[in-house]
Order: sequence, then structure tokens, then C-alpha cells
Amino acid sequence: MTIIQAADIANDQHAECGAVVVGTGAGGATMAAELARAGIDVVMIEEGGYHTTGTFTAESVRALRTLYRDGGGGMTLGWPSVLFAEGRCVGGSTVVNGGMSWRTPARVLARWAEEADAVTERDMDPYFEDVESRLHVALQDPETIGRDSELLKAGADVLGWQIVPNRRNQLHCAGTNNCNNGCPTGAKQSMLVTHVPRALAAGARLYTDCRVVKITGSGVLARFATGQKLTVRARVIVVAAGAIQTPALLRRSGIGSPSGQLGRNLAMHPNANVIAFFDEEVTGWHGVHQAFQVREFMSDGIIVTANNLAPPMLAAMMPAHGRELGELMAGYNHVVTAGPLIEDDGTGRVRTVPGAGPQVFYRLTDRDAARILRGVELTAEVMFAAGARRVLLPFDGVPPALTLREVKGVLARPVPKRSMRLYSIHLMGTARMSRDPRRGVVNSFGEFHGRPGLFVTDASVFPTPTGLNPMETIVALALRNARHLVERRHQYGV
Amino acid sequence: MIEVLRRVVVRFVTVVCPPPARADDTIREFDQFLAALRPAARRALRAMLVAVDQGARLYPRARGRRFARLDDGTADAYLRALLARSGLVQRLKSVVVMCYYELPEAKREIGYEPGPYIAEVSRRRLERYGDELR
Repeated sequence: MTIIQAADIANDQHAECGAVVVGTGAGGATMAAELARAGIDVVMIEEGGYHTTGTFTAESVRALRTLYRDGGGGMTLGWPSVLFAEGRCVGGSTVVNGGMSWRTPARVLARWAEEADAVTERDMDPYFEDVESRLHVALQDPETIGRDSELLKAGADVLGWQIVPNRRNQLHCAGTNNCNNGCPTGAKQSMLVTHVPRALAAGARLYTDCRVVKITGSGVLARFATGQKLTVRARVIVVAAGAIQTPALLRRSGIGSPSGQLGRNLAMHPNANVIAFFDEEVTGWHGVHQAFQVREFMSDGIIVTANNLAPPMLAAMMPAHGRELGELMAGYNHVVTAGPLIEDDGTGRVRTVPGAGPQVFYRLTDRDAARILRGVELTAEVMFAAGARRVLLPFDGVPPALTLREVKGVLARPVPKRSMRLYSIHLMGTARMSRDPRRGVVNSFGEFHGRPGLFVTDASVFPTPTGLNPMETIVALALRNARHLVERRHQYGV
Repeated sequence: MIEVLRRVVVRFVTVVCPPPARADDTIREFDQFLAALRPAARRALRAMLVAVDQGARLYPRARGRRFARLDDGTADAYLRALLARSGLVQRLKSVVVMCYYELPEAKREIGYEPGPYIAEVSRRRLERYGDELR
């Protein structure tokens, strides 16, 4: 097993290989494992560090510092500014996500086929089956479901709303509620414990703490955190750095798309959190992160979930400071945090600003803003139905609401977009796929139009948002792309 | 952190964090967090601290004083006014209180002690499913 970390080296490094894979998240690690298992000499490069399961703790700020890009504090430019988080470690965002694993909805795949001439449900089904088998995608063991999730379900049941148990990539998850800090038991089947070791076992080499600076004519040029250079010569280049970094890397390498779509069409699945206080002790950190999803309004682009937040994260969201913050946080064990995830219209763009690096410009459309407001109202409704005594809404300057009627009263007045406190962990669409080079950056196998041997394999390639957790879609597409490449390996000389 | 900025941060921490603010420990966390950011973001946060500090001179109740030199009541009123207007100051506040609630004492006070819980459910998992997991 070859892992070369920045701390291990003293000099500039050179490597030659068949395929170099940039990024070790859902797309990159999957592609690397498949290519390596087919006998292709693979080099993986990861900007973040190599952190093993045994190092994961419940210290959230430490996790933000070590496992996320920019401490998890990316911010879009625009009104409102959306906070977004990207994983940056071996295993990428799969190390810090909630482990929800869903197939791309059939209606989304139909749209991809129709609008982008991309992939169909029939194309994807065998790959979904494969992903679900490899990553142990299953329902949660019942004993691990916590009280916050039970309350969401109880509320939905009272209202007669459709609610489904989450399918998660986990092997008997213990319910530590530590997904966003890294799974301390290794139960979550992230890339760190699945496809990265699989790739390494098949002979792939992994360079960590190493940022790819540019794609060259013959491979990539990268730099370790300690300053040394890494030059990799490769016949095939796979870029899987996520929907922000992938277009930025391609652009700074002088690679443009004739479609004009590179860096455009960013979708984010904006989320908002309602903080609901209950009389009973909830202790939301007991039990699995997000056991259910309310699907009643999915056709309107809204799902509602409950996700416990660790104290640092909850405090950061509280609309209070000083003594008042202390009083609110004293009720920590009586809180359920829940909220809507919105299938957005995708109006963001990634551009590199000199001196500031890649920046995300995002405008919330009126339709999406309306979905947020409706999603917040629905979340408050389900929380009150479950017995909440008061809720804090994710809008600046709005007092706590003690009844659903008060919530409706707030929402009956105009709520400025800039007052909305939104965040995102699903970034998609900035190198969209289409068989037609005039409409897409890559073809339906992730290969860059007009650049044979250059592949993109992450959520950048989604033609539209999925409306659900995107990880399974990324892994399935990567499997499909890898098999396509392996079948034509002689064409690429690997 | 340079000394001038440190005085601003101490003032900021004592206003935005619940009492006791545990300023030294919170600032240590804050410094570590800053170190994880890219240089441009670090510069922006520092510039914002300077702006918060010097901006107080324009706040009528401050009577020309910097934020770092304001008494508790005036500092709180000034910050409240800023928080109502500026999303960036809200983000800065969020980072600081996040660092405060990373401290074990602050977590313990609100009844959050995940270590023993994680150990217990991890043990239970191995007991129940160990054969499958090996």
C-alpha cells in the first residue's frame, strides 16, 4: 500500500502512470479503484490529509479544520450568501456526509435524458445495484434511531405526510451521530474505508496533502503543502475535485469548453434550519444522523429532514449572542433541528478571482426563495405537530414563534432573500454532461468534449440537481465511466 | 495573532460568548480555526475585526472610542446594531461562538458529553454484529 504524505518527502517528486486521478471523494476514489483493479497503473492525488477512522472524534471544530476546505466556511457571493461546505481529506465529502444513499429519482434521469441527452434510468440501474451492494446501502438498524428522528416521524404521521426511512451506506451503523466529523467506528462506508483501500490494494499510489496546480499537456503538476512539487505524467487524467474546484482547475489549466458551460449551472440544494424546542428531553445526539426524510412535497422540490447539530454548529446558527445565547443553548438537549432541502433552479457560477481563488456566485431565484419559505413553514408545522413549544426560524430579525399561526404570520409578510440563513453541502452541475458538445462540457461517460483522455467524474457533471443526496449518483456514474474507459483502454494507451 | 487584534478579539469574545466567556481558551480555538483557512479568508476576517474595532468610533454611544475600549453595555449595543445590519459580522460571530462551544467545559455545561455515549454504542455494535463485521 503506497501512501505518500507531505511529511514523508523532502524533494520534488515525479511519477508516471496510466491514469492520474485528482481527488479521492465519491467519484475519484471509485474511478481509481476500478481502473486499478483492471490493471491500470493509477496515481491518486488528494489535496487534503489522510485521517484514519481511529482519529475521528466528536470535536466538530477540529473536524472542520482538518477534514473540510476552508473550515467548512465557503460562502457564495450574492444575496443571500449561502454557506457551503466541501470535504477536503482522503475520501473527500464521503468522510463527512450524512451517509444517505439514494438512486437518482426516475423523473430526474428522464429530464437528464430529455434535456441534456445524457444518461437514462436504464443506463444507470445496473450501476446503482452495484453501488448499493458494494457500499452496503441499507436501512438503519432500529435500535440506532434517535428521539429527534422519532419526533420528525411522529409529526409527519400526525399530519398524514409521507415519510421514508433513509437508506444509508453503512454496515450496522452504531448511531454515534458523528457523521459530519468522520465516522468513529468505520461503519459508514465512505470512500476512506471502501474504494480508496480497494484502489491501494490493487496497486494504486496515493499522494496526500498535495494540491493539483494545473493540468499539463502530459499529466498534472501539483504542489505538496510543504512546498515540494509533484509532476505526474499520465495518459488519462481524471478530475474529481468537486463542483467548485473541478471547473476552477480546468480553467486555470487553460481548458475551456466550446459549450460555454464550464463553471456555470451550479446548483446547491439550499437548506435552512428550523430550531424547535420541546418540553421533553430529546438528546438529539443519541442515535443516527437523519433517519428519515419527509417526501410528501418532493414533487414540489422540497424534502424535510431532522439533523442533530453538535453544540458548535447549533450555536453558530442561533440568532443570539452573550447571555441570551447561553440561555438558548442551555436547552440544547431539548432541541430538534430540522429543515427543508430545496431542489433549486441552478443559477450559480464558479469564477476565479485573482488573489482570492475560486469564488462562487449564486443567485437564489424567486421560485427557490418561495420553496425555502414553504419548506420552513412545513418544517415548523411538522415540529409543532410533534409537540414543539416554540421554533426559531432561519430568517434575520424574526422573533421565536410559539404557534404555527405565528409562523404563518411571519411568512405572510415579505421575507427578504438577504435575511435568509441558508447553507449547502450538495454542489453540482458546473461541468454538465451531454452527448452534444454544444450543450455539455463532457459526454455521457464523463470525457471532456474535444479532449480525449480527460475525464470529469464528480457532481460537476450533473445536468440538473438530483433533488436528493447526490453521493450514490456520483459513485454510479464513476463506475459507468470507469467501465467505459477500461473497455476502450487500448484507445487510451493504458 | 498580533496584539492589537488580540484586544479586539478579546472584547468580541466577551460580548458574543455566554458568560463566562473563557476568552483565552476560545481565542486559542479561534486562532487554530483561522490557521485552517486560506490566506485570503484569513485576511478578510482580520480586516473585518479591524473594521469592527474602528467602526465603533462612528457609533454615537461610543463617543469616539474603539470597540476594544468600550464598556460592556456599549460594546453589546454597538455589536447588536452591527449584527442587525451585516451578514459578515454575523458570520464572524458564528465562528467565535462555534469556537466557544468547542470547549469541553462549555459542552459539559449544556449536557453534551458524547465520548461515553460513542464508546457505549460502539461496544454494543461489536457485541451484536461482531461476527458480520470481522
